[in-house]
Amino acid sequence: MKVPCCLFRNFSYVPPPPLVPVQLPSSGEAHLWYVVPDEVKDPSLLSQYMDILSPCEKENVLSFRGEGLKKAAVLARALVRTTIARYQINGHVNPGSLKFCKNKYGKPELHWEHDLGKPEHKVHFNLSHTSSLIACAIAVNSLIGIDVEDKQRKLKSNLVSFARRYFTPHEVKVLSSIQDPELQRQHFIKLWTLKESYVKALGRGFSAQPFKTFTIRIRESESGDICALNCLDNKAGITVECMDDPNRLSKNWEFATMELMGSHYAAVCMENSAAHQTDQGSYPMRLIVRKTIPFVKDELVS
Amino acid sequence: MATVTTAAASLGSLFSWPLHSSRPTASSVSFKLMVAGQSSTALRSLRFRVSCVARPETVDKVCEIVRKQLALPAETELTPDSKFASLGADSLDTVEIVMALEEEFGIGVEEESSQNITTVQEVADLIEKLVQKKPDA
Repeated sequence: MKVPCCLFRNFSYVPPPPLVPVQLPSSGEAHLWYVVPDEVKDPSLLSQYMDILSPCEKENVLSFRGEGLKKAAVLARALVRTTIARYQINGHVNPGSLKFCKNKYGKPELHWEHDLGKPEHKVHFNLSHTSSLIACAIAVNSLIGIDVEDKQRKLKSNLVSFARRYFTPHEVKVLSSIQDPELQRQHFIKLWTLKESYVKALGRGFSAQPFKTFTIRIRESESGDICALNCLDNKAGITVECMDDPNRLSKNWEFATMELMGSHYAAVCMENSAAHQTDQGSYPMRLIVRKTIPFVKDELVS
Repeated sequence: MATVTTAAASLGSLFSWPLHSSRPTASSVSFKLMVAGQSSTALRSLRFRVSCVARPETVDKVCEIVRKQLALPAETELTPDSKFASLGADSLDTVEIVMALEEEFGIGVEEESSQNITTVQEVADLIEKLVQKKPDA
């Protein structure tokens, strides 16, 4: 196996274990890979993850306070690197050799050095983590954003006050109309993840697209219950409407919201490619979800 | 030439001026060395920036709110240089912290200005600036 010479940090270099290769997502398709930190306990495995990180990433990991946060930070970077390496873009199989840079707004992107050749299709990725689950979304030639939250997450502040401060009037109205406090809280979390996933897909930062400048509308499912979005349900009709730029077509963005492990909500937002749109609207996003412990095992979830 | 002398004298006193915060936090404010010949308007604006270094009470209040929001154990050290992300704050935490600070200080933080807020000191400095801009009650 040809190994790039930049990897030879010392004479005792050991290449990382192999990863099962995977096909890149096709047009209109997104891949979601997630890892559960609590399931990763082996110190030698964590050490292998640390080994594939860049010096800068290692330094960043060490800046986190507390072992739990450090572990989550290592896992997050290891997840991104191993996930992308699986696709063997341009023949790259080594997760440690991938390079990243930031776009002008600070969103991380893949960086291909010119002598290695730019790949034909642009691979987009986005990462989200909670202390209990870390997820990475992948798409080709489409902007993508993902956000995950613990289902049990409770706000310290009053939910409706918070919504009034940060959400749009329509969203506040929908939220306030939910009588049951638990269902209301769940809806809040779902809405938060959807809004986050959109802002992250745009990649310009929270302050460039404040939450008050766009409305997420969740069309009721057949049962009429707006909270019945329990499974991978991109047919419920989730749309985004920009308040400040009505010309920005909402059909450019596809959303999917789902539960992972029964314990987390996840939202994925992906840009629609032109090929994927019809007069009636666009085909719903195809989402392939896999749970993984990098280098150990992968499991297709849906 | 008199103007230049005055400017130089003001600059000298600026650097020996005891800053509001007695903590080493003041080092986070960067001073641009004014070249002689700069207008006095520029110097005035530099002084304005200096006075926006947060007071210790503001920094303390921010720490208190951050500690509460993130449910930090008592032994976790929280300094003005502490980064929210390193403490485990995600975007929802950060937004809740901003809202709690708005309520505490009676200010409104525009999302546009919150992009570069990553540490306790940066938040405290922004709050100080916004509090000073408030019209007198």
